[in-house]
Amino acid sequence: MRRDLPNPGWGPLSALPGNPLMWVLILSEMLVFTAFFALYAGQRALDPALFNESQHQLDPVLGGLNTLVLLTSGLFVAFAVEAISAQRIQRSRQWLGAAILLGVLFCVIKVFEYTNKFAAGITPETNAFFGFYYGLTAFHFAHVVFGLALLGLVSWRTSTENVETAAAFWHMVDLIWILLYPLIYLLR
Amino acid sequence: MRALPGTRRLIITWGVLMALTLVSMVSARLDQTTDWQALPLWSAAMIMMATGFKAHCVLMVYLNLRAATPAWKGVFIALTLLTLTLIAAGYLAGRFHLVG
Repeated sequence: MRRDLPNPGWGPLSALPGNPLMWVLILSEMLVFTAFFALYAGQRALDPALFNESQHQLDPVLGGLNTLVLLTSGLFVAFAVEAISAQRIQRSRQWLGAAILLGVLFCVIKVFEYTNKFAAGITPETNAFFGFYYGLTAFHFAHVVFGLALLGLVSWRTSTENVETAAAFWHMVDLIWILLYPLIYLLR
Repeated sequence: MRALPGTRRLIITWGVLMALTLVSMVSARLDQTTDWQALPLWSAAMIMMATGFKAHCVLMVYLNLRAATPAWKGVFIALTLLTLTLIAAGYLAGRFHLVG
């Protein structure tokens, strides 16, 4: 058993940072999102005119802004991992706090977007596109909220393993949004 | 897996991610507010390539998989490629009316 690995004794998962079970969760979540994306792509192929027309009612600039916010938040979380690895606990907490603030900003922008859509009478039942729009973005939103709770938790219980575990989840949330943004907002 | 990316690499990666996001937005021709047409294929290809490269950056640098075993790198890259392929296939099938 190699002792230099982050998690010796975890078999194939031993080479990954943070809690190995988080990586099982990350892979599962990625598979679930991939299945939803495939479903969306299939429905889009059946009725591209409806999807294009509906897509026109979204605000891709707000979606892009949220991408920039989330990716910057990911940078701050990566800085938090660097800091805790150097035993700089306070600095790590500061980076985690900055990441949380940007995560909250992401949520505020998303809620603003939802509010505008509902005010315009656009709901998940409007058509198939908006069913996917609300379903996929709300599912991702739930992951952002869970990620924020994790980041808050590890800001309190700050250790290398905890910060790496939360960081891995947060970067997965980044990754999903990177794939979701062009799918829903840009490709037409 | 202990070798962290380092501040410099993280900042460069962040800059690349920001730039690629802007490239995607420009490629999507968001200035077409009234004349909302299907994108030229090269625009769609640019968006997909930028997305793929961004996903790769997040996996290798933010998630630090560049320091993981080749098997783990392969799993995550394969899953990302599968997702991108499904997205592109759905888009192209709709674009060229291959289904329905």
